[in-house]
Amino acid sequence: MKAFLNYLWIQFKMDLRDRGTLLNFYLVPLVFFFVMGAVFSSVTPLMKTTLAATMTIFAITMGAVMGTPSPLVKMRESGTMRAFKVNGISASAILTVQALSAFIHLFLVAVIIYFVSPLVFHSQLPVSAGAYFAIVAIYLLACIGIGLLIGVIAPNQSTTTMFSMIVFLPSLLLSGIMFPANMLPAALMWLGRLFPATYALQSFSGLAFHLSTDINAAFSLILVATFCVIMFILAFLQLNNIRKNEQM
Amino acid sequence: MNDPIVSVTDLVKHYGSNTVLNKINFEVGAGEVFGLLGPNGAGKTTTLECLEGLRKPNGGTLQIAGCDPQTQEHSLRSLLGVQLQSSALPDSIKVSEALQLFCSWHGVAQRDDLIEKFGITPFLTKQFKQLSTGQKRRLLLVLALVNSPRVLILDEPTAGLDVQSRAQLHDEIRRIKQQGITVLLATHDMAEAEQLCDRIAIILNGKIAFSGTPQEVTAAGNGQTKITLRTAHGSLSASEAFSGTTFVQEKEGYLEWKTRDVAEAVTQILGKVKAANDTVEDLRVERPSLEERFLELVEGN
Repeated sequence: MKAFLNYLWIQFKMDLRDRGTLLNFYLVPLVFFFVMGAVFSSVTPLMKTTLAATMTIFAITMGAVMGTPSPLVKMRESGTMRAFKVNGISASAILTVQALSAFIHLFLVAVIIYFVSPLVFHSQLPVSAGAYFAIVAIYLLACIGIGLLIGVIAPNQSTTTMFSMIVFLPSLLLSGIMFPANMLPAALMWLGRLFPATYALQSFSGLAFHLSTDINAAFSLILVATFCVIMFILAFLQLNNIRKNEQM
Repeated sequence: MNDPIVSVTDLVKHYGSNTVLNKINFEVGAGEVFGLLGPNGAGKTTTLECLEGLRKPNGGTLQIAGCDPQTQEHSLRSLLGVQLQSSALPDSIKVSEALQLFCSWHGVAQRDDLIEKFGITPFLTKQFKQLSTGQKRRLLLVLALVNSPRVLILDEPTAGLDVQSRAQLHDEIRRIKQQGITVLLATHDMAEAEQLCDRIAIILNGKIAFSGTPQEVTAAGNGQTKITLRTAHGSLSASEAFSGTTFVQEKEGYLEWKTRDVAEAVTQILGKVKAANDTVEDLRVERPSLEERFLELVEGN
């Protein structure tokens, strides 16, 4: 356990030193938050109300889906995973540490957004902070699960970016965080419902802000949690598959 | 050979329909430096990766200090140190962190002795991406030693290194051998194998084509020893015949012969020089190299 925690601490520090990770975890989400926060808070009162939630969904999706897979693919490509394995650090441990480190970084970003939103943009704090952060944690894990899955299925860096964009862009545009999902054409609205970001926004609105929602908020949260479990299972199964096929 | 600590029996490995290893057999004695030689794609790395537990053999048995790499991975990690052919660490990990990570994962205290012995101290605070190729190799070697392994596997440890770094690494491998650690070394570099290895095995087309000490391997070939002579007054000529030798050429005052019986040939040649009241200015005896023998085997296959 001590060795695992030591690895997690080293990984956390490595993430802060890595320019790409820093960009995906902190810089882009926070710059986007300040720019779009200014825009959103002046568009509609509803957007101002849930600003912290929408910006958190953006930050988490960006950081976890765009930022988590690339280091994993690089570790596979460069032989780092093999070097770790022959020294007793299993691939599962690597995946778990990457996931936990990403969780800590992105949770910190969510906390920053939570406290800065009311101060800078005069947005409302959620009615239930407990529900708010529970949703943050569950959605964060779901997105990290997607990131890990991409990290173990993508054969190279360019494919990784493509896979990440396939998840990130619809999550951003069709989930309702940029504009209300019920204003989208029906086909796009249903397409948006394939991504957990849609359900995360419904959960935030219903459970944390006590607003009315298109989809039942509790049911939405269960869907996000289910999605999270499925993604982690698939990621670890694929990792096992890679190991069996000696591709690592 | 001391009691075998590594034994490979009838090792078979296929990649799809391609048989890479076809009943490989060898044993490595405790404290030995054993070299695996062979051209690209011969199966050296695959053999080592089967021993490291990274690949699953299709047949045969492997043992490292009585431990089966396929079924006893946990025990294997405590007695094996590995430097892979294409090994890397995360770019942004610091040298001190890498040492800390690997030591803690192996459950051993920080190895300050290794840091000092391998001259790692000056770059402890550098990130992996900031190290030169030689420094990276040295670090990876140190990391392979943190658990005080009984067997160390080095897969082309000096590939891509400059002459100085290579010489340093050779010295370090000699020091490792002095500590009684068994070393399995895969290399392309024949001079390296000749200098470092107690015994070698040459793998060709998935089979061991020859094994023995470097001297035994070279002696078993068709190669002949080259004798080159220059005298003060040039008393010997190209037409001079010595039994058991073949005259090769005369170049810039040097006469060159090839022979299998070096002692007899040198005795005859020096006798002639003395009889002619001449003196030897330069005499060179060059035994056939491992490289020549290796090429002979490759061409024969």
